[in-house]
Amino acid sequence: MIAVQDLTKVYGKRAALDHISFEVPEREIFGFVGPNGAGKTTTLRILAALLEPTEGKAFIDGADVTRDREKVHTRIGYMPDFFGVYDQLTVGEYLDFYAACYRQQKRRRQTIVNDLLALVGLTERKHQLVDTLSRGLKQRVCLARALVHDPAVLLLDEPASGLDPRARVEMREILKELQGMGKTIIISSHILPELTELCTMIGIIDHGRMRATGSVREVIARLTTGRRLRITVIEQKDAAIEVLTPLASVRNVESVNGTIEAEYEGDESTASDILFALTGAGIRVSSFIPVDGGLEDAFLKATSEEVG
Amino acid sequence: MNPVARALWNPIVAKEYRTRMRTWRSPFAITLYIVLLGGLGWAVFAAMTSNTAGFGSQGTNYGQFLFLFLVIFQVVLLAFITPALTSGAISGERERQTLDLLFVTPIAPFSIIWGKLLASMSFVVLLLILSIPIFSLVFLFGGIELDQVVYAFAVTGATALMLGLVGIAFSSFFRRTLAATVAAYGTAFVLLLGAFVYGYLFPIDVDPNALTAPSPPVITLISPVLPLYTIATNGPLAGYGVRYSQSQFQSGAQGNQYCAPTINGGVMCTSNGVGTGYTTKGGVQSPGATLQTGLFQGWQYWQASIALQLMISAVALLLSALVLPPVRRFHLRRKQAPAPVAA
Repeated sequence: MIAVQDLTKVYGKRAALDHISFEVPEREIFGFVGPNGAGKTTTLRILAALLEPTEGKAFIDGADVTRDREKVHTRIGYMPDFFGVYDQLTVGEYLDFYAACYRQQKRRRQTIVNDLLALVGLTERKHQLVDTLSRGLKQRVCLARALVHDPAVLLLDEPASGLDPRARVEMREILKELQGMGKTIIISSHILPELTELCTMIGIIDHGRMRATGSVREVIARLTTGRRLRITVIEQKDAAIEVLTPLASVRNVESVNGTIEAEYEGDESTASDILFALTGAGIRVSSFIPVDGGLEDAFLKATSEEVG
Repeated sequence: MNPVARALWNPIVAKEYRTRMRTWRSPFAITLYIVLLGGLGWAVFAAMTSNTAGFGSQGTNYGQFLFLFLVIFQVVLLAFITPALTSGAISGERERQTLDLLFVTPIAPFSIIWGKLLASMSFVVLLLILSIPIFSLVFLFGGIELDQVVYAFAVTGATALMLGLVGIAFSSFFRRTLAATVAAYGTAFVLLLGAFVYGYLFPIDVDPNALTAPSPPVITLISPVLPLYTIATNGPLAGYGVRYSQSQFQSGAQGNQYCAPTINGGVMCTSNGVGTGYTTKGGVQSPGATLQTGLFQGWQYWQASIALQLMISAVALLLSALVLPPVRRFHLRRKQAPAPVAA
């Protein structure tokens, strides 16, 4: 559905994007992760045909973003990392305006607006001025705006940025619903735990270069070498560290907030051996939890390398 | 909707009407406009009736003077209002961060400009319509025909269109509304006052052998002041835009002659020797509001002015359409991408 090939964007002497490539199949949610200035917004703006790449190609549903701009615009719903609202329009008028811009028939527009407001849970706010809404509600209106022409692809730039936890959960639920409706979604975000839950695919970008891309599980497995245990002991933390450190399977041990985190090579059997070594040494273990490396570790690993 | 209807009426026009008329600024601007125009009309009328010697004592002169003051003042008011309406049209969308959202819709950048222009010009037309009752007072005094009012409104409308499009061009070019507004007002000042003053600073030398007075420099017709004057008075502004030198004192059979254009566009020569008074040289008289020489020879002043203003408007529209699109089709220099870094 979305294909990016060797995409490069140069501003002056600085390459904001440096030959990045990835593909997003239909009905997938692709999480685009990277630190500030990594090139996420630039990529999304190129995909939205708002910016011309210096080099490389990008296709949305087969349409070239540099040549078939009109076709691209009918296929994408773009939600930038800002609201973009008019201060004298109500929510209903605002959505109706964009529906008209997307050449929806006048008699259909009211139905579209009502359906979208129901989808994002804003039916009762239809007659309220957009500018008077809270940040979370504005974000929902903006999502509804991106959907007025029923696009197959959604490009969402930091949709959860600045939202409180409840609003984030609500936004996540809406996005899951949209995935269920068959949309292909690219989300750029900093909020990694949520991306793990929501996304089926992920791409980690840093300094304009794609560090890793693939399914969430693949990327985590590829980037987080070794497994991790979080161990809590009763009053014998130093002794426990002394027991763990010489073990051949344990690569690294550190004390973190009253617990011990141990990185090891091996499987569940190796973890069992480590527990046995602790209890055998008389250490009273109160909890022994294998910790998944997770997206956060993968992200830190992927973005820790210096780029020349 | 057919393409013509779609071009004339796009969603941006409707949205602009809605957002513009919901603020206090529009009713305030309309009220202020009417009060100022009506106030000036009343002041001029009061001055004329209290000092008939200065303005002439005939009712027809009252009408002409009142009309002249009103049309000039109307242009001045619109010169202040129109750039304010359009100089924030595009840059305001940029500042509100709504421009990108319009660019991702199927609406073409030209349609965005057109929609903004149509909405702004509709407001100007509304102001012109609202001023009709004030202008109708002129007919009470006579001396002004309906066609003169129509021509004056056409010139005023063309001026507003030119200033509006110049405002939109700057609004497309500058990222900030403040910069666009300053540039639009500066340009309006140059086009309206500067072009008029040009006629005084760089007049055309009168050919002593010509039978008719030369027309002022073409550039002066960009300003609506001269055409509006010719419409109101049915004649050119005496001595404007032309220059006479001592060499034009010609040696005639009865002594030296001095030639000057008449109020109605002809040339009148005066004998300096025998004292026979004024005589008309050559006997060629031309209609007062018609250009006698130059690019627009044979055109009425107001026609030439509208043509020039429409040309400037077209250039401004073209520049706006070239500057506005987020992805431009023309590049002065292609940037080279760096070679990929080995992973």
